[in-house]
Amino acid sequence: MTDSPKVMISAQNVTKTVETSEGPLAILQPISFDVKQAESVAIVGASGSGKSTLLSLLAGLDEVSSGEIYLNNEALHAMDEEQRARVRGEHVGFIFQSFMLVQSLTAIENVMLPAEIAGLDNPRQLAEELMHKVGLDHRVTHYPNQLSGGEQQRVAIARAFITQPAILFADEPTGNLDSVNGEKIQSLLFELNKTSSTTLVLVTHDNLLARRCQRQLRMQAGELTDITNDSDDSNVEQLRVV
Amino acid sequence: MWINLAWRLFKHEARRGELTVILLAIVLSVASVMSLSLFSERLQSALNERSAQFLAADSVLYSTQKVNPAWLEKAEGMGINTAKQTRLQSMAFSDENMSLVTLRASNDRYPLKGDIRISEQPFAPGEITDTLPNPGEVWIESQLFETLGVELGGFIDVGDARLKVTKVLIELPDGGFSVFAINPRILMRLEDLPSANIQGPGARVWNAHYFTGEKDVIESYYEWLEPQLENDIHEWSSVDDAESGIGNSVARAEQFFLLASLLAIVLASVAIAVAAQRYSQRHYDPVAIFKTLGASKSLVQKVYLLQVLFVTLLGIFIGCVIGFVIQQVVVWAIADQVPVAVQAWFWGPVWIAIFTGLVCAVLFSVYPLMRLFSVPPLRVLRKDLGAQLSSKSLQFLASAVGIFSLMWVYSGNLKMSFILFGSGVLLVAALLVVTFGLIALGRRLGQGRMGPWQLAWARIKRRAMDNSVQLISFAVTIMLLLIVLVMRNDMIQQWKDQLPEGTPNYFMINISHDQAPEIQKSFEDNGLTLEQFYPVVRGRFVAVNGERVRTSVAKNDEDEQAQRDGLGREANLTWSLELQYQNEIVEGEWLTTWQEGEPAPVSVEKEAAKRMDINMGDVLTFNIGSEVVDVTVTSIREVNWQTLQPNFFFVLHPKAMENYIPTYITSFNVPVSMKPEVPRIMAPFGTVSLIDVDSRIERVREVIDQVSLAVEFILVLVLVAGALVLIAQVQASMDERQQELAILRTLGAKGHIIRASVVFEFIILGMVAGFMAALANEVTLYFLQTELFQMKVSFHYEYWVIAPLVGAAVVGVLGALSCWRLLSLNTTKLLRQMV
Repeated sequence: MTDSPKVMISAQNVTKTVETSEGPLAILQPISFDVKQAESVAIVGASGSGKSTLLSLLAGLDEVSSGEIYLNNEALHAMDEEQRARVRGEHVGFIFQSFMLVQSLTAIENVMLPAEIAGLDNPRQLAEELMHKVGLDHRVTHYPNQLSGGEQQRVAIARAFITQPAILFADEPTGNLDSVNGEKIQSLLFELNKTSSTTLVLVTHDNLLARRCQRQLRMQAGELTDITNDSDDSNVEQLRVV
Repeated sequence: MWINLAWRLFKHEARRGELTVILLAIVLSVASVMSLSLFSERLQSALNERSAQFLAADSVLYSTQKVNPAWLEKAEGMGINTAKQTRLQSMAFSDENMSLVTLRASNDRYPLKGDIRISEQPFAPGEITDTLPNPGEVWIESQLFETLGVELGGFIDVGDARLKVTKVLIELPDGGFSVFAINPRILMRLEDLPSANIQGPGARVWNAHYFTGEKDVIESYYEWLEPQLENDIHEWSSVDDAESGIGNSVARAEQFFLLASLLAIVLASVAIAVAAQRYSQRHYDPVAIFKTLGASKSLVQKVYLLQVLFVTLLGIFIGCVIGFVIQQVVVWAIADQVPVAVQAWFWGPVWIAIFTGLVCAVLFSVYPLMRLFSVPPLRVLRKDLGAQLSSKSLQFLASAVGIFSLMWVYSGNLKMSFILFGSGVLLVAALLVVTFGLIALGRRLGQGRMGPWQLAWARIKRRAMDNSVQLISFAVTIMLLLIVLVMRNDMIQQWKDQLPEGTPNYFMINISHDQAPEIQKSFEDNGLTLEQFYPVVRGRFVAVNGERVRTSVAKNDEDEQAQRDGLGREANLTWSLELQYQNEIVEGEWLTTWQEGEPAPVSVEKEAAKRMDINMGDVLTFNIGSEVVDVTVTSIREVNWQTLQPNFFFVLHPKAMENYIPTYITSFNVPVSMKPEVPRIMAPFGTVSLIDVDSRIERVREVIDQVSLAVEFILVLVLVAGALVLIAQVQASMDERQQELAILRTLGAKGHIIRASVVFEFIILGMVAGFMAALANEVTLYFLQTELFQMKVSFHYEYWVIAPLVGAAVVGVLGALSCWRLLSLNTTKLLRQMV
């Protein structure tokens, strides 16, 4: 019997409630699921369905209201912001819709940043290699605002992989890009994901992108449903309508 | 690693202009403090040098007894230069006549500072000399030639000594300003004094020991000496406490410089606070990214604190250089007119500038940085999340403590700090009320069709809190500028008033009752006008409410009266129903309200009353000849002694004095061209003493002109600083408006409507800020003038109109310019800039 892959992310009865002027509002109903090592998971859903909130909780960017989240066996729900920052630095990479590059650092310095924060030995060399991999050798000293959207996202991908994170979270990674650039970014993302055996969790509207993932989860009104084996495309159709 | 990262961030941000605003603010604060304080140090040192010339030294120890020789040895041992002069009253005799004179017997080192003027002709302007009379010789004042009937080369007897008159003594550096320097002076050598044999018991001797040297050496000498001095024997006088007209003007100017520098610091603090807030807001995203990528809070703190430190150090360096260059340029430019100590270098201002830069940068960036550090990593997903820490009260408290402690530390003047700070707090409170009032008003006005006015009001309403901060910073800036401007105007005006054109440059005393009409006529014939004749009767002030006062003559009898501890000598009593020029009743009522049957009234000069503990209603007793006169104090007068006009401690009612025969004192102005005529006009009136105060007036005027010019410079500097702060504020707020402009533009709003709405918004802000500033300015000035500058209170209603108009115009124009820059970008660029 072969060992089943390690569970990288485990969410148990996770809820998120926020205070509003009209009383508490439950954004996430109790949610439970696991993501295994090297697995790629897409979370789809309409705007406001709570998928970004879920991503922020899984990545330790926000605190759960109740429930438990384990990231690479580390109990995120029991940690304070400082401890979560350490976990993010050690195990997590990020890609955002709006790229989130530091405007006052050059492309290569942006890529080096996580490596520097993690205290790796040769951040520049690692960054140069990654810049090469994403095809931006000639853009290393450019500032983000001198790069096109696609290029900025490639820098962001290089940055996400520099610490060889166990888990990669991507929030609408192609949301700000045209279809050609979006396709390029998708290919790059999955290629790197594959070669580094990274666990990938991405939030997207794009059903094609979602379908490239091994699993698809759908958020609706704060509830999560696994739609991976749902051959009926109606869900995807619905998404398209939204 | 983090040092590297901080350095890289700093480098890139500096290159990309991200740090420009905060850097400029620090540069501004450091440069203005540096240039102001270095300039004022240099000016003060030059003016002190000038004051020292009036004292003939840096410091003088006056003593009615011989001083302990060890004291002088100690001074010499510390490297201090000393000189000695013995002054005493005595009779001088010629073959024909005699006169009471004041002898000034000096050793060969006198004067240590300043000049003696002599001439070959009485009443001539004279020339500077660096010599003294030779032993056996004397130089005597002009009027003595008349009184004694001697000529140059003749001899006079002083005690047992027979001395040859070799020059006319025109002026001594420490001649004093008193009109009642009754006795003509004779300058002689100290070594001739013993042979005169006039220093017997009971002689009124007054020893002056002069000291010059490095300021701190003199100070430490005085520290050593002070405990050994006895109040009733010794008096220490130094340039800092010179109470001459010049001393006063200089002291006031120094206060003004201090005030201006303080205001510059506050301005700079406002600029830094504005810049730091902007800096912090622009770094929310990077901080969120750092945190998301795993940076600990302490790492973020270290990186940003280091970055702020880099900016601060760079700002301090550039500020020091610019500050130095500015004041150097000014020093060169005005070197001909103002005696600035060009060569002197002072480290004090450099340290103050560095300290100011550091403290300003730290204190005013603490809160924005704390807010920055509190930005949650979640901002990477939710752009609407800003800083988690929000405590306006903490911000206000930190700024308040920061500004107040800076003011206090810097000025060392708690009162000035309180006045400025207090009025600042009042202004802020009032502005908050006004802002909310405006919002309420805007709610009504902002309704209806969206024209530029509606847009402007709507924005003011929506950005209430931001606007209140902006309004406060505009108003504080305008208020500070107003204070400096108005203080400068008032101060220069009051200086000029005290010595208007045509100020009498001669005094005539000892005019007998019979001579008065003759002199009047003689002058009229020569086309000269005499001022009022004041009757003078000398009386000895002997008792208050029947209680005897000390009447012994204790001190220097010829210098400024206002400096005396007690009267201690015969008083010059005058009577008049007319209040003299620049006299003001501060307590009670002037003599004209006296009615027959009431006790005879007297009006007493304020300082004299204070010194001799005389209060309203006290009965003062004078001995006039053999008569005893009792008068009751019915008013206390404040006298401006700096006008160089005849003034009196005691003014009585004419009724009370009708039985006494006075001599008269008057004054007149003679144009320079007619001065040579004066001896001829005066020739028939040999017994009348003539005192030429022209050179003294000139000297006071000269200093006033110089100080005024320096004050102008300070004003310009503060105005420039203020303008820069305003620009920084408008720029910063324009940033915040960028997003909204972009959206309006994208939605197709016409450029001129957007521009007009922004301009209107700034006009409204500028106008309100200007008006509030004018109000706060009045309150501040009232306290500054009454409590600190001892000036007459003045109100400035014109600024109530000018300030709002200028505020609206300047802020509006600045707003229009910044807005024009933004609107000249195309929409895409505008949107991209926001990312």
